[in-house]
Amino acid sequence: MTFYITVAISIAISSIAVLGTFMLTGMNGLFSLGQAAFMGLGAYATAILVVNYGLPFPLAILIAIALAISLAFFVGYATLRIRQDFFALATFGFGQAMIALLTETVTITGGAMGFSNIPRLTSPALAFISLAIAIFFVWGFRRSHFGKDSLAIRSNELAAEVEGINAFKHKMIVFVISAGFAAYAGALMAFHISYVEPATYGWILSVTWIIIVFFGGRDSLTGTVIGAIILLAAPEALRFTTAWRILVYCVIILLIINLRPRGLFGTWEISLKPFLRFFKSKKQQEAK
Amino acid sequence: MGVPMQFSIILQQVVNGLSLGAVYALIAVGFALIFNVLKFSNFAHGGVLGISAYAGYIAANQFKLPLIPVILVGMVTGAILAVLVELIAFRWIRLQKGQLVYFFVTSVTMLMLLEQVLIIRFGASFESYPYTLVKVRVLQFGDVTISVTYLLSLISTIIAFSGLIYVLKKTKIGIAIRAASNDLTATSLMGINVNMVIIAAFIVSGMLGGLSGVLYGISASLSPQIGQIVVKGFIASVLGGLGSLTGVAVAAVVLGVLEVFLISTIGSGLSPVVIFLLMVVFLLVRPHGFAGVSFSDKA
Repeated sequence: MTFYITVAISIAISSIAVLGTFMLTGMNGLFSLGQAAFMGLGAYATAILVVNYGLPFPLAILIAIALAISLAFFVGYATLRIRQDFFALATFGFGQAMIALLTETVTITGGAMGFSNIPRLTSPALAFISLAIAIFFVWGFRRSHFGKDSLAIRSNELAAEVEGINAFKHKMIVFVISAGFAAYAGALMAFHISYVEPATYGWILSVTWIIIVFFGGRDSLTGTVIGAIILLAAPEALRFTTAWRILVYCVIILLIINLRPRGLFGTWEISLKPFLRFFKSKKQQEAK
Repeated sequence: MGVPMQFSIILQQVVNGLSLGAVYALIAVGFALIFNVLKFSNFAHGGVLGISAYAGYIAANQFKLPLIPVILVGMVTGAILAVLVELIAFRWIRLQKGQLVYFFVTSVTMLMLLEQVLIIRFGASFESYPYTLVKVRVLQFGDVTISVTYLLSLISTIIAFSGLIYVLKKTKIGIAIRAASNDLTATSLMGINVNMVIIAAFIVSGMLGGLSGVLYGISASLSPQIGQIVVKGFIASVLGGLGSLTGVAVAAVVLGVLEVFLISTIGSGLSPVVIFLLMVVFLLVRPHGFAGVSFSDKA
Protein backbone atom coordinates (compact mmCIF):
# COMPACT_ATOMS: atom_id res chain seq x y z
CA MET A 1 0.00 0.00 0.00
CA THR A 2 2.77 2.44 0.88
CA PHE A 3 4.34 1.64 -2.49
CA TYR A 4 1.25 2.85 -4.31
CA ILE A 5 1.11 6.00 -2.21
CA THR A 6 4.77 6.74 -2.93
CA VAL A 7 4.19 6.29 -6.65
CA ALA A 8 1.04 8.40 -6.50
CA ILE A 9 2.92 11.23 -4.78
CA SER A 10 5.67 11.13 -7.40
CA ILE A 11 3.08 11.31 -10.16
CA ALA A 12 1.29 14.21 -8.48
CA ILE A 13 4.54 16.15 -8.12
CA SER A 14 5.64 15.52 -11.69
CA SER A 15 2.19 16.54 -12.88
CA ILE A 16 2.78 20.01 -11.42
CA ALA A 17 5.83 20.41 -13.68
CA VAL A 18 3.83 19.04 -16.61
CA LEU A 19 1.20 21.73 -15.96
CA GLY A 20 3.96 24.32 -16.32
CA THR A 21 4.83 22.81 -19.69
CA PHE A 22 1.12 22.80 -20.57
CA MET A 23 0.99 26.58 -20.16
CA LEU A 24 4.27 27.19 -21.95
CA THR A 25 4.20 24.66 -24.79
CA GLY A 26 0.56 23.73 -25.02
CA MET A 27 -0.98 27.18 -24.74
CA ASN A 28 1.84 29.46 -25.89
CA GLY A 29 3.56 27.16 -28.37
CA LEU A 30 7.03 27.70 -26.88
CA PHE A 31 9.28 24.64 -26.73
CA SER A 32 11.53 24.69 -23.70
CA LEU A 33 14.14 21.94 -23.66
CA GLY A 34 15.51 23.19 -20.34
CA GLN A 35 12.33 22.96 -18.31
CA ALA A 36 13.65 19.99 -16.34
CA ALA A 37 16.71 22.03 -15.37
CA PHE A 38 14.43 24.41 -13.47
CA MET A 39 13.10 21.38 -11.62
CA GLY A 40 16.67 20.36 -10.83
CA LEU A 41 17.47 23.86 -9.69
CA GLY A 42 14.45 23.90 -7.40
CA ALA A 43 15.35 20.49 -5.99
CA TYR A 44 18.99 21.34 -5.31
CA ALA A 45 18.44 24.86 -4.03
CA THR A 46 15.78 23.79 -1.52
CA ALA A 47 17.72 20.74 -0.40
CA ILE A 48 20.96 22.68 0.13
CA LEU A 49 19.23 25.54 1.94
CA VAL A 50 17.42 23.20 4.31
CA VAL A 51 20.12 20.59 4.94
CA ASN A 52 23.26 22.76 4.94
CA TYR A 53 21.89 26.09 6.15
CA GLY A 54 19.01 24.95 8.32
CA LEU A 55 16.43 27.21 6.69
CA PRO A 56 12.76 26.31 7.20
CA PHE A 57 11.29 24.28 4.31
CA PRO A 58 8.70 26.86 3.09
CA LEU A 59 11.25 29.70 3.05
CA ALA A 60 13.74 27.54 1.15
CA ILE A 61 11.08 26.73 -1.43
CA LEU A 62 10.33 30.42 -1.91
CA ILE A 63 14.02 31.23 -2.40
CA ALA A 64 14.39 28.36 -4.90
CA ILE A 65 11.39 29.56 -6.89
CA ALA A 66 12.73 33.12 -6.91
CA LEU A 67 16.05 31.80 -8.19
CA ALA A 68 14.39 29.82 -10.98
CA ILE A 69 12.27 32.82 -11.96
CA SER A 70 15.25 35.16 -12.20
CA LEU A 71 17.20 32.66 -14.33
CA ALA A 72 14.17 32.14 -16.56
CA PHE A 73 13.99 35.91 -16.97
CA PHE A 74 17.63 36.00 -18.05
CA VAL A 75 17.18 33.20 -20.63
CA GLY A 76 13.89 34.60 -21.85
CA TYR A 77 15.20 38.14 -22.19
CA ALA A 78 17.85 37.00 -24.66
CA THR A 79 15.64 34.79 -26.79
CA LEU A 80 11.92 35.50 -26.59
CA ARG A 81 12.07 38.35 -29.09
CA ILE A 82 13.57 36.22 -31.87
CA ARG A 83 12.48 33.05 -33.62
CA GLN A 84 11.20 30.11 -31.64
CA ASP A 85 14.03 27.77 -32.62
CA PHE A 86 16.37 30.05 -30.72
CA PHE A 87 14.23 29.81 -27.63
CA ALA A 88 14.35 26.01 -27.84
CA LEU A 89 18.11 26.17 -28.38
CA ALA A 90 18.80 28.63 -25.56
CA THR A 91 16.69 26.69 -23.06
CA PHE A 92 18.49 23.53 -24.15
CA GLY A 93 21.88 25.19 -23.61
CA PHE A 94 20.67 26.48 -20.27
CA GLY A 95 19.69 22.98 -19.20
CA GLN A 96 23.07 21.52 -20.15
CA ALA A 97 24.87 24.39 -18.40
CA MET A 98 22.77 23.88 -15.26
CA ILE A 99 23.58 20.16 -15.13
CA ALA A 100 27.27 20.90 -15.69
CA LEU A 101 27.26 23.42 -12.84
CA LEU A 102 25.49 21.02 -10.48
CA THR A 103 27.93 18.25 -11.40
CA GLU A 104 31.05 20.39 -11.08
CA THR A 105 30.38 22.20 -7.80
CA VAL A 106 31.14 18.99 -5.91
CA THR A 107 31.72 20.61 -2.53
CA ILE A 108 28.20 22.08 -2.44
CA THR A 109 26.08 19.65 -4.44
CA GLY A 110 27.93 16.36 -4.11
CA GLY A 111 28.60 16.31 -7.85
CA ALA A 112 27.57 13.39 -10.03
CA MET A 113 27.09 11.22 -6.92
CA GLY A 114 24.07 13.29 -6.01
CA PHE A 115 22.89 14.95 -2.83
CA SER A 116 21.35 12.58 -0.32
CA ASN A 117 19.95 12.45 3.20
CA ILE A 118 17.26 15.00 2.51
CA PRO A 119 14.52 14.74 5.15
CA ARG A 120 11.19 13.44 3.82
CA LEU A 121 9.17 16.57 4.46
CA THR A 122 6.75 16.20 1.53
CA SER A 123 3.64 14.67 3.03
CA PRO A 124 0.98 13.10 0.78
CA ALA A 125 -1.38 15.93 1.73
CA LEU A 126 1.14 18.58 0.67
CA ALA A 127 1.70 16.91 -2.71
CA PHE A 128 -1.96 16.37 -3.55
CA ILE A 129 -3.10 19.79 -2.33
CA SER A 130 -0.28 21.42 -4.33
CA LEU A 131 -1.42 19.59 -7.44
CA ALA A 132 -5.03 20.62 -6.83
CA ILE A 133 -4.01 24.27 -6.45
CA ALA A 134 -1.85 24.05 -9.56
CA ILE A 135 -4.73 22.61 -11.59
CA PHE A 136 -7.04 25.31 -10.27
CA PHE A 137 -4.48 27.99 -11.17
CA VAL A 138 -4.08 26.72 -14.74
CA TRP A 139 -7.86 26.38 -15.08
CA GLY A 140 -8.26 30.02 -14.07
CA PHE A 141 -5.36 31.00 -16.32
CA ARG A 142 -7.06 29.44 -19.32
CA ARG A 143 -10.36 31.14 -18.65
CA SER A 144 -8.76 34.54 -18.04
CA HIS A 145 -8.24 37.24 -20.61
CA PHE A 146 -4.52 36.66 -20.23
CA GLY A 147 -4.90 33.00 -21.16
CA LYS A 148 -6.96 33.87 -24.23
CA ASP A 149 -4.12 36.17 -25.30
CA SER A 150 -1.82 33.15 -25.07
CA LEU A 151 -3.91 31.25 -27.59
CA ALA A 152 -3.92 34.31 -29.85
CA ILE A 153 -0.13 34.50 -29.77
CA ARG A 154 0.13 30.78 -30.43
CA SER A 155 -1.99 30.88 -33.55
CA ASN A 156 -0.61 34.10 -35.01
CA GLU A 157 1.88 36.26 -33.17
CA LEU A 158 1.80 39.13 -35.65
CA ALA A 159 -1.99 39.34 -35.57
CA ALA A 160 -1.91 39.21 -31.77
CA GLU A 161 0.53 42.12 -31.65
CA VAL A 162 -1.66 44.10 -34.01
CA GLU A 163 -4.51 43.56 -31.58
CA GLY A 164 -2.41 45.28 -28.94
CA ILE A 165 -0.96 42.29 -27.10
CA ASN A 166 2.66 42.75 -26.02
CA ALA A 167 3.81 39.29 -27.14
CA PHE A 168 7.30 39.54 -25.66
CA LYS A 169 6.05 40.56 -22.22
CA HIS A 170 3.30 37.96 -22.39
CA LYS A 171 5.61 35.09 -23.31
CA MET A 172 8.05 36.21 -20.63
CA ILE A 173 5.39 36.09 -17.92
CA VAL A 174 4.25 32.61 -19.00
CA PHE A 175 7.82 31.31 -19.19
CA VAL A 176 8.63 32.66 -15.74
CA ILE A 177 5.47 31.10 -14.26
CA SER A 178 6.21 27.73 -15.85
CA ALA A 179 9.77 27.83 -14.52
CA GLY A 180 8.33 28.54 -11.08
CA PHE A 181 6.03 25.51 -11.41
CA ALA A 182 8.99 23.31 -12.35
CA ALA A 183 11.11 24.60 -9.48
CA TYR A 184 8.29 24.03 -6.99
CA ALA A 185 7.82 20.48 -8.28
CA GLY A 186 11.57 19.95 -7.93
CA ALA A 187 11.54 21.10 -4.31
CA LEU A 188 8.67 18.76 -3.44
CA MET A 189 10.34 15.89 -5.32
CA ALA A 190 13.67 16.30 -3.52
CA PHE A 191 11.94 16.13 -0.15
CA HIS A 192 9.85 13.18 -1.31
CA ILE A 193 12.54 10.83 -2.64
CA SER A 194 15.19 12.32 -0.28
CA TYR A 195 17.84 12.17 -2.99
CA VAL A 196 18.74 14.30 -6.02
CA GLU A 197 21.27 13.81 -8.79
CA PRO A 198 22.02 16.09 -11.75
CA ALA A 199 21.67 13.54 -14.57
CA THR A 200 17.92 13.13 -13.90
CA TYR A 201 17.16 16.64 -15.10
CA GLY A 202 18.46 16.47 -18.68
CA TRP A 203 16.67 17.59 -21.83
CA ILE A 204 15.05 14.18 -22.29
CA LEU A 205 12.90 14.82 -19.19
CA SER A 206 11.81 18.20 -20.60
CA VAL A 207 10.90 16.44 -23.84
CA THR A 208 8.96 13.79 -21.94
CA TRP A 209 6.77 16.53 -20.43
CA ILE A 210 6.15 18.00 -23.88
CA ILE A 211 5.18 14.54 -25.14
CA ILE A 212 2.78 14.14 -22.22
CA VAL A 213 1.08 17.45 -23.06
CA PHE A 214 0.60 16.45 -26.69
CA PHE A 215 -0.46 12.94 -25.73
CA GLY A 216 -3.32 14.19 -23.58
CA GLY A 217 -4.16 17.03 -25.93
CA ARG A 218 -2.66 20.48 -25.76
CA ASP A 219 -6.07 22.11 -25.93
CA SER A 220 -7.43 20.16 -23.00
CA LEU A 221 -6.46 20.67 -19.38
CA THR A 222 -8.32 17.49 -18.45
CA GLY A 223 -6.40 15.65 -21.17
CA THR A 224 -3.07 16.93 -19.91
CA VAL A 225 -3.74 15.88 -16.33
CA ILE A 226 -5.10 12.45 -17.30
CA GLY A 227 -2.32 12.04 -19.88
CA ALA A 228 0.23 12.84 -17.18
CA ILE A 229 -1.28 10.26 -14.85
CA ILE A 230 -1.40 7.60 -17.59
CA LEU A 231 2.09 8.15 -18.97
CA LEU A 232 3.77 8.65 -15.60
CA ALA A 233 2.06 5.57 -14.20
CA ALA A 234 2.71 3.49 -17.35
CA PRO A 235 6.33 2.65 -16.46
CA GLU A 236 5.12 1.32 -13.11
CA ALA A 237 2.17 -0.54 -14.58
CA LEU A 238 4.03 -2.21 -17.46
CA ARG A 239 6.13 -4.41 -15.29
CA PHE A 240 8.51 -6.03 -17.75
CA THR A 241 12.10 -4.92 -18.24
CA THR A 242 12.72 -1.19 -18.38
CA ALA A 243 13.95 -1.09 -21.97
CA TRP A 244 10.91 -2.91 -23.36
CA ARG A 245 8.43 -0.81 -21.46
CA ILE A 246 9.91 2.43 -22.78
CA LEU A 247 9.71 0.92 -26.26
CA VAL A 248 6.03 0.13 -25.77
CA TYR A 249 5.49 3.63 -24.36
CA CYS A 250 7.05 5.17 -27.49
CA VAL A 251 4.91 3.04 -29.80
CA ILE A 252 1.76 4.07 -27.93
CA ILE A 253 2.69 7.75 -28.24
CA LEU A 254 3.39 7.39 -31.97
CA LEU A 255 0.01 5.69 -32.46
CA ILE A 256 -1.85 8.39 -30.56
CA ILE A 257 -0.18 11.29 -32.38
CA ASN A 258 -0.66 9.61 -35.76
CA LEU A 259 -4.27 8.58 -35.25
CA ARG A 260 -5.49 11.43 -33.04
CA PRO A 261 -3.20 14.38 -33.77
CA ARG A 262 -5.04 16.64 -31.35
CA GLY A 263 -4.25 14.29 -28.49
CA LEU A 264 -6.23 11.69 -26.62
CA PHE A 265 -8.84 14.18 -25.41
CA GLY A 266 -8.81 16.76 -28.19
CA THR A 267 -10.52 19.84 -26.82
CA TRP A 268 -12.77 17.96 -24.44
CA GLU A 269 -12.91 19.19 -20.85
CA ILE A 270 -14.49 17.54 -17.87
CA SER A 271 -17.29 19.70 -16.53
CA LEU A 272 -20.09 19.56 -14.02
CA LYS A 273 -22.74 20.73 -16.48
CA PRO A 274 -23.87 17.29 -17.74
CA PHE A 275 -24.31 16.12 -14.14
CA LEU A 276 -26.28 19.22 -13.20
CA ARG A 277 -28.45 18.84 -16.29
CA PHE A 278 -29.02 15.18 -15.44
CA PHE A 279 -30.15 15.97 -11.92
CA LYS A 280 -32.30 18.85 -13.12
CA SER A 281 -34.12 16.66 -15.64
CA LYS A 282 -34.66 14.03 -12.97
CA LYS A 283 -36.18 16.63 -10.66
CA GLN A 284 -38.47 17.81 -13.43
CA GLN A 285 -39.60 14.25 -14.06
CA GLU A 286 -40.30 13.80 -10.39
CA ALA A 287 -42.26 17.03 -10.35
CA LYS A 288 -44.39 15.74 -13.19
CA MET B 1 62.14 25.57 -26.77
CA GLY B 2 58.93 26.49 -24.99
CA VAL B 3 57.39 28.51 -27.78
CA PRO B 4 57.47 25.92 -30.62
CA MET B 5 56.12 23.27 -28.21
CA GLN B 6 53.16 25.52 -27.48
CA PHE B 7 52.61 26.11 -31.15
CA SER B 8 52.60 22.41 -31.97
CA ILE B 9 50.08 21.76 -29.19
CA ILE B 10 47.82 24.49 -30.53
CA LEU B 11 48.14 23.13 -34.06
CA GLN B 12 47.25 19.67 -32.86
CA GLN B 13 44.20 21.01 -31.02
CA VAL B 14 43.14 22.83 -34.17
CA VAL B 15 43.34 19.61 -36.20
CA ASN B 16 41.42 17.72 -33.51
CA GLY B 17 38.84 20.49 -33.40
CA LEU B 18 38.47 20.55 -37.16
CA SER B 19 37.89 16.82 -37.36
CA LEU B 20 35.33 16.89 -34.54
CA GLY B 21 33.76 19.88 -36.27
CA ALA B 22 33.69 17.90 -39.51
CA VAL B 23 31.63 15.13 -37.89
CA TYR B 24 29.35 17.75 -36.33
CA ALA B 25 28.99 19.34 -39.76
CA LEU B 26 27.86 16.01 -41.25
CA ILE B 27 25.29 15.62 -38.49
CA ALA B 28 24.15 19.23 -38.75
CA VAL B 29 23.75 19.23 -42.53
CA GLY B 30 21.75 15.99 -42.45
CA PHE B 31 19.57 17.58 -39.77
CA ALA B 32 19.21 20.91 -41.61
CA LEU B 33 18.33 19.24 -44.91
CA ILE B 34 15.10 17.90 -43.45
CA PHE B 35 14.45 21.19 -41.68
CA ASN B 36 14.70 23.01 -45.00
CA VAL B 37 12.13 20.82 -46.70
CA LEU B 38 9.65 20.12 -43.90
CA LYS B 39 10.44 23.04 -41.50
CA PHE B 40 10.77 21.12 -38.28
CA SER B 41 13.68 19.94 -36.13
CA ASN B 42 14.14 16.27 -36.90
CA PHE B 43 15.58 14.78 -33.72
CA ALA B 44 14.92 11.29 -35.08
CA HIS B 45 18.07 11.91 -37.12
CA GLY B 46 19.98 11.01 -33.96
CA GLY B 47 18.29 7.62 -33.79
CA VAL B 48 19.13 6.95 -37.44
CA LEU B 49 22.72 7.94 -36.75
CA GLY B 50 22.93 5.67 -33.70
CA ILE B 51 21.55 2.54 -35.38
CA SER B 52 23.81 3.07 -38.41
CA ALA B 53 26.84 3.40 -36.15
CA TYR B 54 25.98 0.03 -34.61
CA ALA B 55 25.30 -1.50 -38.03
CA GLY B 56 28.80 -0.46 -39.07
CA TYR B 57 30.10 -1.89 -35.81
CA ILE B 58 28.49 -5.27 -36.51
CA ALA B 59 29.85 -5.25 -40.06
CA ALA B 60 33.36 -4.56 -38.78
CA ASN B 61 33.27 -6.79 -35.74
CA GLN B 62 31.35 -9.88 -36.83
CA PHE B 63 31.77 -9.88 -40.61
CA LYS B 64 35.32 -8.50 -40.46
CA LEU B 65 34.72 -6.10 -43.32
CA PRO B 66 37.40 -3.52 -44.14
CA LEU B 67 36.95 0.22 -43.64
CA ILE B 68 35.22 1.37 -46.83
CA PRO B 69 32.53 -1.37 -46.86
CA VAL B 70 31.89 -0.63 -43.18
CA ILE B 71 31.25 3.02 -44.01
CA LEU B 72 28.99 1.97 -46.88
CA VAL B 73 27.02 -0.37 -44.60
CA GLY B 74 26.50 2.56 -42.24
CA MET B 75 25.32 4.84 -45.02
CA VAL B 76 22.91 2.30 -46.53
CA THR B 77 21.47 1.52 -43.11
CA GLY B 78 21.05 5.22 -42.48
CA ALA B 79 19.24 5.74 -45.76
CA ILE B 80 16.83 2.82 -45.23
CA LEU B 81 16.15 3.81 -41.65
CA ALA B 82 15.54 7.46 -42.50
CA VAL B 83 12.92 6.43 -45.05
CA LEU B 84 11.28 4.14 -42.49
CA VAL B 85 11.18 6.99 -40.00
CA GLU B 86 9.55 9.19 -42.61
CA LEU B 87 6.90 6.57 -43.34
CA ILE B 88 6.19 5.72 -39.70
CA ALA B 89 6.43 9.05 -37.95
CA PHE B 90 5.92 11.86 -40.44
CA ARG B 91 4.01 10.83 -43.55
CA TRP B 92 0.65 10.26 -41.90
CA ILE B 93 0.74 13.58 -40.07
CA ARG B 94 1.71 15.35 -43.28
CA LEU B 95 -1.16 13.79 -45.21
CA GLN B 96 -3.54 14.94 -42.48
CA LYS B 97 -2.02 18.43 -42.78
CA GLY B 98 -1.09 18.35 -39.10
CA GLN B 99 0.76 21.27 -37.55
CA LEU B 100 4.54 21.39 -37.40
CA VAL B 101 4.62 20.84 -33.65
CA TYR B 102 3.37 17.27 -34.09
CA PHE B 103 6.39 16.46 -36.24
CA PHE B 104 8.61 17.64 -33.41
CA VAL B 105 6.82 15.38 -30.92
CA THR B 106 6.96 12.28 -33.14
CA SER B 107 10.59 12.90 -34.10
CA VAL B 108 11.69 13.02 -30.47
CA THR B 109 9.63 9.91 -29.76
CA MET B 110 11.37 8.15 -32.65
CA LEU B 111 14.75 9.14 -31.18
CA MET B 112 13.79 7.57 -27.84
CA LEU B 113 12.41 4.48 -29.57
CA LEU B 114 15.52 3.82 -31.67
CA GLU B 115 17.67 4.38 -28.60
CA GLN B 116 15.65 1.76 -26.74
CA VAL B 117 16.15 -0.71 -29.62
CA LEU B 118 19.91 -0.32 -29.12
CA ILE B 119 19.61 -0.71 -25.35
CA ILE B 120 17.57 -3.91 -25.78
CA ARG B 121 20.06 -5.35 -28.26
CA PHE B 122 23.38 -4.20 -26.76
CA GLY B 123 22.70 -3.32 -23.13
CA ALA B 124 23.95 -0.11 -21.58
CA SER B 125 27.64 -0.94 -22.04
CA PHE B 126 30.19 0.81 -24.24
CA GLU B 127 31.50 -0.84 -27.41
CA SER B 128 34.25 0.21 -29.75
CA TYR B 129 35.13 -0.55 -33.33
CA PRO B 130 37.87 -3.20 -33.75
CA TYR B 131 41.30 -1.70 -33.45
CA THR B 132 42.43 -3.25 -36.73
CA LEU B 133 39.90 -1.29 -38.79
CA VAL B 134 42.29 1.62 -39.18
CA LYS B 135 45.76 0.08 -39.53
CA VAL B 136 48.00 3.09 -38.94
CA ARG B 137 46.81 4.91 -35.85
CA VAL B 138 48.89 8.08 -35.86
CA LEU B 139 50.94 10.16 -38.25
CA GLN B 140 53.93 12.16 -37.01
CA PHE B 141 54.70 15.56 -38.52
CA GLY B 142 57.63 16.86 -36.50
CA ASP B 143 56.11 17.80 -33.13
CA VAL B 144 52.57 17.37 -34.34
CA THR B 145 50.93 13.98 -33.88
CA ILE B 146 47.75 13.53 -35.87
CA SER B 147 45.38 10.66 -35.25
CA VAL B 148 44.48 8.88 -38.49
CA THR B 149 40.89 8.40 -37.35
CA TYR B 150 40.59 12.17 -37.07
CA LEU B 151 42.09 12.62 -40.51
CA LEU B 152 39.64 10.03 -41.80
CA SER B 153 36.69 12.07 -40.47
CA LEU B 154 38.05 15.18 -42.11
CA ILE B 155 38.60 13.56 -45.52
CA SER B 156 35.30 11.63 -45.53
CA THR B 157 33.44 14.82 -44.68
CA ILE B 158 35.07 16.69 -47.54
CA ILE B 159 34.21 13.88 -49.98
CA ALA B 160 30.64 13.65 -48.66
CA PHE B 161 30.09 17.39 -48.98
CA SER B 162 31.50 17.45 -52.50
CA GLY B 163 29.04 14.69 -53.40
CA LEU B 164 26.21 16.55 -51.68
CA ILE B 165 26.96 19.80 -53.51
CA TYR B 166 27.03 17.90 -56.80
CA VAL B 167 23.69 16.22 -56.08
CA LEU B 168 22.00 19.42 -54.93
CA LYS B 169 23.29 21.61 -57.76
CA LYS B 170 23.47 19.33 -60.80
CA THR B 171 21.01 16.46 -60.54
CA LYS B 172 17.29 16.75 -61.15
CA ILE B 173 16.39 15.31 -57.78
CA GLY B 174 18.76 17.74 -56.03
CA ILE B 175 17.20 20.69 -57.79
CA ALA B 176 13.79 19.35 -56.80
CA ILE B 177 14.94 19.13 -53.16
CA ARG B 178 16.11 22.74 -53.28
CA ALA B 179 12.85 23.80 -54.88
CA ALA B 180 10.94 21.99 -52.15
CA SER B 181 13.02 23.78 -49.50
CA ASN B 182 11.93 27.04 -50.99
CA ASP B 183 8.21 26.33 -51.21
CA LEU B 184 6.65 22.90 -50.89
CA THR B 185 3.25 23.90 -52.27
CA ALA B 186 4.62 25.70 -55.30
CA THR B 187 6.84 22.70 -56.03
CA SER B 188 3.87 20.38 -56.08
CA LEU B 189 1.96 22.82 -58.29
CA MET B 190 4.83 22.63 -60.78
CA GLY B 191 4.00 18.96 -61.22
CA ILE B 192 6.77 17.55 -59.07
CA ASN B 193 5.90 14.53 -56.97
CA VAL B 194 6.50 16.03 -53.54
CA ASN B 195 6.38 12.70 -51.74
CA MET B 196 9.23 11.40 -53.88
CA VAL B 197 11.24 14.56 -53.21
CA ILE B 198 10.74 14.18 -49.48
CA ILE B 199 11.78 10.52 -49.63
CA ALA B 200 14.88 11.59 -51.57
CA ALA B 201 15.69 14.23 -48.96
CA PHE B 202 15.38 11.60 -46.23
CA ILE B 203 17.65 9.21 -48.17
CA VAL B 204 20.35 11.88 -48.52
CA SER B 205 19.95 12.95 -44.90
CA GLY B 206 20.06 9.31 -43.76
CA MET B 207 23.25 8.66 -45.71
CA LEU B 208 24.90 11.67 -44.10
CA GLY B 209 23.62 10.50 -40.72
CA GLY B 210 24.96 6.98 -41.25
CA LEU B 211 28.35 8.30 -42.30
CA SER B 212 28.57 10.61 -39.29
CA GLY B 213 27.52 7.76 -36.98
CA VAL B 214 30.25 5.42 -38.24
CA LEU B 215 32.90 8.16 -38.16
CA TYR B 216 31.96 9.22 -34.66
CA GLY B 217 31.92 5.57 -33.58
CA ILE B 218 35.41 4.99 -34.97
CA SER B 219 36.98 8.08 -33.43
CA ALA B 220 35.15 7.87 -30.09
CA SER B 221 33.18 4.93 -28.71
CA LEU B 222 29.68 3.52 -29.04
CA SER B 223 26.94 3.56 -26.45
CA PRO B 224 23.17 3.37 -27.00
CA GLN B 225 22.97 7.07 -26.10
CA ILE B 226 25.12 7.93 -29.13
CA GLY B 227 22.01 9.27 -30.87
CA GLN B 228 21.81 12.18 -28.46
CA ILE B 229 24.79 13.69 -30.27
CA VAL B 230 22.14 14.98 -32.68
CA VAL B 231 21.85 17.97 -30.36
CA LYS B 232 25.24 19.15 -31.65
CA GLY B 233 23.63 19.19 -35.07
CA PHE B 234 20.68 21.07 -33.60
CA ILE B 235 22.93 23.71 -32.00
CA ALA B 236 24.96 24.15 -35.18
CA SER B 237 21.86 24.29 -37.37
CA VAL B 238 20.17 26.98 -35.34
CA LEU B 239 23.31 29.06 -34.85
CA GLY B 240 24.18 28.69 -38.52
CA GLY B 241 20.81 30.07 -39.49
CA LEU B 242 18.54 27.16 -40.39
CA GLY B 243 18.02 27.19 -44.11
CA SER B 244 21.54 27.92 -45.21
CA LEU B 245 23.47 24.64 -45.43
CA THR B 246 26.81 26.47 -45.74
CA GLY B 247 26.09 28.54 -42.65
CA VAL B 248 25.15 25.36 -40.79
CA ALA B 249 28.39 23.58 -41.79
CA VAL B 250 30.49 26.59 -40.77
CA ALA B 251 28.73 26.83 -37.41
CA ALA B 252 29.31 23.10 -36.81
CA VAL B 253 33.04 23.39 -37.48
CA VAL B 254 33.25 26.43 -35.20
CA LEU B 255 31.40 24.48 -32.50
CA GLY B 256 33.81 21.52 -32.84
CA VAL B 257 36.94 23.70 -32.61
CA LEU B 258 35.44 25.62 -29.70
CA GLU B 259 34.61 22.42 -27.80
CA VAL B 260 38.08 20.95 -28.22
CA PHE B 261 39.61 24.26 -27.17
CA LEU B 262 37.38 24.54 -24.09
CA ILE B 263 38.00 20.94 -23.05
CA SER B 264 41.77 21.47 -23.22
CA THR B 265 41.62 24.71 -21.21
CA ILE B 266 38.84 24.47 -18.61
CA GLY B 267 37.96 20.77 -18.88
CA SER B 268 34.90 18.98 -20.19
CA GLY B 269 32.87 19.56 -17.03
CA LEU B 270 32.30 23.29 -17.25
CA SER B 271 32.45 23.70 -21.03
CA PRO B 272 28.62 23.47 -21.43
CA VAL B 273 28.34 26.54 -19.19
CA VAL B 274 30.73 28.57 -21.36
CA ILE B 275 29.06 27.33 -24.55
CA PHE B 276 25.68 28.41 -23.20
CA LEU B 277 26.93 31.89 -22.28
CA LEU B 278 28.61 32.30 -25.68
CA MET B 279 25.39 31.15 -27.33
CA VAL B 280 23.34 33.79 -25.50
CA VAL B 281 25.84 36.51 -26.40
CA PHE B 282 25.83 35.33 -30.01
CA LEU B 283 22.04 35.40 -30.17
CA LEU B 284 21.98 38.92 -28.75
CA VAL B 285 24.55 40.11 -31.29
CA ARG B 286 23.37 38.17 -34.35
CA PRO B 287 19.74 37.22 -33.76
CA HIS B 288 19.43 35.43 -37.11
CA GLY B 289 22.48 33.18 -36.96
CA PHE B 290 25.60 33.18 -39.09
CA ALA B 291 23.73 33.30 -42.38
CA GLY B 292 20.53 34.78 -41.07
CA VAL B 293 19.62 37.41 -43.61
CA SER B 294 19.16 35.01 -46.48
CA PHE B 295 16.76 32.98 -44.37
CA SER B 296 14.58 35.70 -42.86
CA ASP B 297 12.40 35.87 -45.98
CA LYS B 298 11.63 32.17 -45.69
CA ALA B 299 10.70 32.17 -42.04
